[in-house]
Amino acid sequence: MPRDRCEEAVNVLTLPVLLPLFGGTLLLLIKRPQGRAGVGTAAALLTLLASCWIAVRSFSGTVLVTQLGGWPAPYGITLVADGLTGVMLLLSGVTGLMTVIYAASSLQHAPRRGGTPVLSRARERLGTPALLQFLLMGVNMSFLTGDLFNLFVSFEVMLVASYGLLLIGGELPQLREGFKYVVVNLVASAIFVAAAGLAYGLFGTLNMADIAARLQDVSGDPRVTLIVLLLALVFATKAAVFPFGFWLPYSYPVVPGAVGAFFGAVLTKVGVYALLRLFTLLTPGETALKNGLLILATLTILIGALGAVSQRRWRHLLAFANVASVGYLVLGLSSGALAPTLYYLIHSVLVIFTLFSLAGLAELVAGGRFGDGHSEGHLGAYPLLGAVYFVSALALAGLPPTSGFIGKFALVQVLLGSGGLLRVFASVVAVASGLLLLYAAMGIWRGFFWGADDAVHRPPLPKGMLRVTGAAGGLLVMLAIASGPVYALAERVAVQLERPADYISHVVPEGDAP
Amino acid sequence: MEVLLPLLAAVLVATGVFLVLTRAMIRLIIGLSLIAYGANLSILLAGGAALRTPPLLNLDGPYVDPLPQALILTAIVIGFGTTSLLLVLAVRAFGATGTDHVQELLEKPDPVLRQRIYADPERPSVSPETQDAPRAQGPL
Repeated sequence: MPRDRCEEAVNVLTLPVLLPLFGGTLLLLIKRPQGRAGVGTAAALLTLLASCWIAVRSFSGTVLVTQLGGWPAPYGITLVADGLTGVMLLLSGVTGLMTVIYAASSLQHAPRRGGTPVLSRARERLGTPALLQFLLMGVNMSFLTGDLFNLFVSFEVMLVASYGLLLIGGELPQLREGFKYVVVNLVASAIFVAAAGLAYGLFGTLNMADIAARLQDVSGDPRVTLIVLLLALVFATKAAVFPFGFWLPYSYPVVPGAVGAFFGAVLTKVGVYALLRLFTLLTPGETALKNGLLILATLTILIGALGAVSQRRWRHLLAFANVASVGYLVLGLSSGALAPTLYYLIHSVLVIFTLFSLAGLAELVAGGRFGDGHSEGHLGAYPLLGAVYFVSALALAGLPPTSGFIGKFALVQVLLGSGGLLRVFASVVAVASGLLLLYAAMGIWRGFFWGADDAVHRPPLPKGMLRVTGAAGGLLVMLAIASGPVYALAERVAVQLERPADYISHVVPEGDAP
Repeated sequence: MEVLLPLLAAVLVATGVFLVLTRAMIRLIIGLSLIAYGANLSILLAGGAALRTPPLLNLDGPYVDPLPQALILTAIVIGFGTTSLLLVLAVRAFGATGTDHVQELLEKPDPVLRQRIYADPERPSVSPETQDAPRAQGPL
């Protein structure tokens, strides 16, 4: 047992949680908006550096463990970073930094009065930057924690921050969608608490690795299935899997555009991450449940793609596209195609982030709608935005040579390879929905970029927002170019996920368990 | 105790679900609190509800397990915060729409707040929701 390696892994694991916490607290004390922008960016940058360090270390195959307060594993709270945590931390760090810069720069052209959909000064003053840091903290904590109840607490930290971001401003659409969002999440949290309590009653521990180690003792117990079912219900609600995802498509568009990209790109993926953990670590078995989830995932893809076709507003369309991408991820993890799922996860975070950033810019140019004949033909004025949109729309639909194609191809290959009518049907839906998403994305192209240039007034776009959008698009292209190494990395992480014994033995060393 | 407490938890959750399914916001919020209480009670039961001595070293065992109580305390604090947020939200929504009815909140096009916030004639509203209204000013 490489005990010394665990000790050496030290407290860097706490940094992705602590840095945003300090940053957010500091932001509440700073009076000037420029100061807030600087501190927020610095905190996000340091968080990204810490996440990078953890990710690089975890990609080499080691499992980094920190026992908080020095309490040994099943008694204290454990922070664990394996390859999956590394990937997720890296994604949340990169998108977090880009969101902070995007939000700070969106203020440059915010009018003093009147609300822009991007971010008004009033909303910024009320604490949007600080809430963004707390959101980042909750997200990172959910990725790092190795304790079921602590996972609940991290979810709550993340959710309370997201309630704040969603509700700041207090307009009626926000109140309306916010009410739905809060109620759904409160019900899910109550179920999560009950499930954690039941797990403690059955296993006598809340440490996830310890629970996994004790699964053999209670194999065949129907109560295990009940607990897993409750947890899967909670995580599926967070991830917006059909039919628990009805809260998502209309609530994300009311989030201020400056932070909407982070919501779309990362928040729903936290639910997917939790599902991945649940199905690899806690319940390697449970095939009936996985098949049920596979059907739900197929329906989620279909609902997302059809919903996207039906929308005539940028962010509503993207919210539905986000639902569809969650469907692909859940389809992958429930059919056991872990490596394609991980690759698609990286792709999906980047593509959704790019598209939501573009939506924020498009709202500055022409409002949130497209294709109503009032404002089109923006390709001439913003050719680079058009290029970024073109690439990310192809990636969203999954056409070659983009990363979306590689992810979907690998996923469908695994699905068809494992056979079965259900899986064949799922892959047909997956491919057909790609075409539907392409059709939906073409709607934006025709309604916003293409057409006669008839706009009379074009507002100058903030440079920071443009740069962030360009950088996100660049990352997406990089992902397609470097898909060989990235896919190899995804395969390594998938192999690590399929052998939970490694994870367990690092957290709860043999013989130490009571 | 061992029979009574699960029964109580069940009644709490059942009442909570009933209230959540009604359409008045305040009833819905009370229902959510009841469901949370039911969940907390089930944690207490999971730790064993037998009458044991408190976990203090100068008393003789068997001790009661303190962890479920710590968990419940955490859950109560979080629930308190979110419930108060939801209450403020309900009050704001009532102020904006004049109704406590969830369905009416979801369907009501709002005349009050839009005028207050988007009353800048220089800059027509571009909020995604207000785009639904007929556009009087034309494109930007």
